Amino acid sequence: MTLWASLLTMSLVMTVVAGFLAVVLRDLLAAALALGAQGLFLSLAFYLLQAPDVAIAQAGIGAALTTAIFLLAIRKTRRKEEE
Amino acid sequence: MIVELSFGIAAAVLLAYALVCAVRLGVGPTAADRAVALDTINTLVVAIMVLVGAAFDLMIIMDVALVYALLSFVGTLYIARYLEEGLR
Repeated sequence: MTLWASLLTMSLVMTVVAGFLAVVLRDLLAAALALGAQGLFLSLAFYLLQAPDVAIAQAGIGAALTTAIFLLAIRKTRRKEEE
Repeated sequence: MIVELSFGIAAAVLLAYALVCAVRLGVGPTAADRAVALDTINTLVVAIMVLVGAAFDLMIIMDVALVYALLSFVGTLYIARYLEEGLR
């Protein structure tokens, strides 16, 4: 296994881990932060696949802007998810 | 060859550190722990992007790291603003 393939594998595994956390966590603020981390690792995977413009779009919109919009929405509503 | 290998191994080690920070993001008891973990992951990913760009000798794709280093500040700023005044 080459070094590039191991880096790509690690970033994809961490994308799956962060996405799992974003689904499982009941605290909506923590879920929004985990979703930000998921977008960030997905952006790293795009970067390793040598698609820099897709990585810029994913990092800017998916990781930074979506987290900010979710936080503004959580501020207007409740923080804890109900059973 | 040896320079490429050492940059790549450094990037892999930083990615392992980001995994540790993702564990803290999952189990962190308070929201401030999670915010600090996400900010640490941001910084580590920017460093990984720079190291990978240096390892594969692709200086043209390193501006992704620049753009993300600017944009991650906005996300951290919103999280801090929420923690300061909106915690209910």
